[in-house]
Amino acid sequence: MTSATMSHAVYGYARSALRSEHLWHWTIFIVVSLAVATPLIFLVLGSFSEASLPTQFTLSELTIRNYRQVWLDLDTYLVFYNTLIYVTGATAFGISVAAGLAWLVERTDIPGKLWIYAGVPMTLAMPGMLQAMAYVLLLSPRIGYLNEFLGVFGLGPINIYSLGGMIFIEGLRLVPTAFLMLVPLLRSMDPTLEEAAYMSGANPHRTLRRITIKLMLPGLLAVLIYQCMTALEVFEVPGILGLPASIYVFSTKIYSILHSSSSTPAYGQANALAMIYVVIAIAATWIYAKVISKSERFSIITGKGYRPRVTELGRGRWLASGLVLLFLAFSIILPFLVLCYVSFLPFLQSPSVAALRMMTLDHYVELWQTPLIGQVMMNTLYMVAITSTLTVAISFLVSLVIVRSKFWGRRILDQVAFMPHAIPGIVIGLAFLWVFLQGTKYGINLYGGIWAISIAFVVGFLAYGTRSMNAGILQIHKDLEEAAQTSGATQWRTMWRIFYPLMLPTIIGVWVWSMLHAIRIAGAPLLLYEGKENQVLAILIWNMWDEGNIEAVGAIGTLMIIFLLLVTLSLRMIGFGRGAAIPQSSH
Amino acid sequence: MIDIRNLHVHFRSSEGTVHAVRGVNIKVERGQFYTMLGPSGCGKTTTLRCLAGLERPSSAEISIDGQVVFSSERNLMIPPYRRDIGMVFQSYAIWPHMNVFENVAFPLREMRGRFSRAEIREKVMRALELVQLTGYEDRPAPFLSGGQQQRLALARALVREPTVLLLDEPLSNLDAKLREETRTEIRDLVKRLGITTVYVTHDQLEALTMSDMVAVMDQGQIVQEASPIVIYREPKVRFVADFIGLTNFIKGSVHRAANGNALGEVQTASGLITCILPDKASSGDKVLIVIRPEDLILVPGAVSAGSGNVIEGRVSTSLFMGDSTEFRVAIKDTTLRLKLHSSTAMSQGDTVRIELPPERCRALMG
Repeated sequence: MTSATMSHAVYGYARSALRSEHLWHWTIFIVVSLAVATPLIFLVLGSFSEASLPTQFTLSELTIRNYRQVWLDLDTYLVFYNTLIYVTGATAFGISVAAGLAWLVERTDIPGKLWIYAGVPMTLAMPGMLQAMAYVLLLSPRIGYLNEFLGVFGLGPINIYSLGGMIFIEGLRLVPTAFLMLVPLLRSMDPTLEEAAYMSGANPHRTLRRITIKLMLPGLLAVLIYQCMTALEVFEVPGILGLPASIYVFSTKIYSILHSSSSTPAYGQANALAMIYVVIAIAATWIYAKVISKSERFSIITGKGYRPRVTELGRGRWLASGLVLLFLAFSIILPFLVLCYVSFLPFLQSPSVAALRMMTLDHYVELWQTPLIGQVMMNTLYMVAITSTLTVAISFLVSLVIVRSKFWGRRILDQVAFMPHAIPGIVIGLAFLWVFLQGTKYGINLYGGIWAISIAFVVGFLAYGTRSMNAGILQIHKDLEEAAQTSGATQWRTMWRIFYPLMLPTIIGVWVWSMLHAIRIAGAPLLLYEGKENQVLAILIWNMWDEGNIEAVGAIGTLMIIFLLLVTLSLRMIGFGRGAAIPQSSH
Repeated sequence: MIDIRNLHVHFRSSEGTVHAVRGVNIKVERGQFYTMLGPSGCGKTTTLRCLAGLERPSSAEISIDGQVVFSSERNLMIPPYRRDIGMVFQSYAIWPHMNVFENVAFPLREMRGRFSRAEIREKVMRALELVQLTGYEDRPAPFLSGGQQQRLALARALVREPTVLLLDEPLSNLDAKLREETRTEIRDLVKRLGITTVYVTHDQLEALTMSDMVAVMDQGQIVQEASPIVIYREPKVRFVADFIGLTNFIKGSVHRAANGNALGEVQTASGLITCILPDKASSGDKVLIVIRPEDLILVPGAVSAGSGNVIEGRVSTSLFMGDSTEFRVAIKDTTLRLKLHSSTAMSQGDTVRIELPPERCRALMG
């Protein structure tokens, strides 16, 4: 190659770097990196600050006293211990149930499989907060309905305000996602691997033990770790069930440090604790990534359609069906009925004929008359709309760069967008608390309002959004756009007539996922809102519960669950969420 | 009509810079069917995409029908949507969210001079008729078979009546029978319409049956450019001889250089062979004799070995191919492949004599 052509090549590249396309890429890269890095930097810096308010934080007064205090505090170790027990228990319980369900539908002849396939993921429509609240009504030591029922038989009250209670509820909540991850695993396992075992003389039981389970172990491990991360991150369930009994796990401890009624919030300490929390979460993410990459060694997935060996249950099928129904009952039917029941009561009382006769629609009517209900609903509407739309827009642009461009930093951008996934929601809320409070010093008054909540959500949701958009864009073969260009369409026309229509399903999917999550998560919003007029629905429900306004919670909760059920149901009917490639979290 | 001068394309990959196209020069006449043929990675598709405007050359001067579409000297690049071309992709690139009519109508809707609805309809129907897809207008595009999708892609490329048609391995996803039918259909169609066509393929049968001109490419360069007959009969280098059709290779060195009639003698392990020598060959040069299996003649017992180009050997295998039988005959330092009528009575282990007609033997340098 002559030097002339060489310099041409270099010259050409330098010129192209200045083209508008590259400018666009750089903008996205910088904006997203800032959006993710800024809160994290404040999180880290804040942990070294002893300022009583984040606004008083200065770089000159850095100290490690927060960390010393946190490490020396026995409380911290109690939090460690509680979190460990809770996460381990919930995961073990949840995975076991999910594995059982998956095995029943994939490898036995249990009746009504279609209902189980459809029904189990539907339990995701039940928000964690409401489910926990419903179980408090059932199993609160003093007034729980189930406890009263048990009391009749002389059986002691079960206290839901306990680690056991948290394990049970969160375990239940982990099931649908774990189920959605385990089913494809079971379904696509190559049967010839088992058949080879049979041909070598192993009976079904030995085959299961020595071949099947061993092959599925990496996949199982991945599901296990993923669910651990979810349980670790959740705030609502430990919040409702643990706080009243002063049982703290990481997520609720941070919240309580900031919202303590007895002492002024120790922001720096909250940060220090959050840092430990984050380190654990990142370690879990790293282990997950390692397990995922190892699992490819045990590639057992085959594309061939096949018929698996089905175990016949015989008379056991009734027991199995009963167990499945029991799960559905505990997960969604029972909590919904309780909330529904309570919403119609004039005052709290155990179920009885008399109670039924007293039922009234008063609370629903009161809902309309609640002073700020209109404001709260509008807030929620705006917040959800802003969050979902921003998540879709930014994820879309980011994924475009990651998948379709030759921008040098696109892999880095991919990692940066995914990073917030490793950070628990409450910590993201805390980090943004610092950012927004600092912002008020410069006249940017985002703190306390809907935008604060939206921004925190968007940064958190980017991880899911970009995964989804990446997959969606990858499916659109570049050929389709090139064919449009060679047919005379400019880049904009191609995007509008070819690319965008084909991306619509993915875009809608991400929008709805964001909506469903933004509407029910309470952790970060609780940290970021200020003032009754800035509440959103999740915060309202939390506060109502806190104030003892149980019947109102019942009413609004019932309506919320019906709404979410309808949305989830209609989505499944249109075809989304069937065998979701990317699992939803369990808030 | 199409003029590509000194085309160089560099790619940055994970392994560093790849020099995919190294100084390719192509001239295509108006109405000609020009094929670029070669193995994967030879640069033929990259060259085609540069012509389409989908790939940016590192340096080149490209013009279509007198208009410069790319010039590295003038830093000029006309984007694909401004070039008067139609393109058929290997994957067909049929838009799944539109029906057949909309797929074909798309290019018309993108044109500056707006057509009326009636005009669009007329042009689309005409294009569909050309490819025999009349009656399928309302069918959603994904509901077509592979062959139908390919025809749809062709209709879409032709609906604007472009001056140049580009095809990127359009037949590789079709089954053998369909491929055979479509080959002739495409050639007849473009000849009838008088469209200059540039075709890319790795299938030498397509290249031979469809083209006016074939450019064999390897590692980013054109190795030989000629009509199908010349490419087949007079390969200039081993690569071309090997890539096109089946060939026999016999190593040797020049014994006697060519006299007036260009025939010379080459000393091989199986004796002296009279054959066509390359122009500058002189005594002692190492050469490779190539001869096609179908040119070898089975000699009846009477003629003795040693006179003319007759070699004796032993049959090692016979493969029944349907329309012929291929025999492998082991000779001194290599194996010869013969293509004979299936009625030939020859079996494994037989000793046979094979004649190599001198004017069918061609020696290549090296």
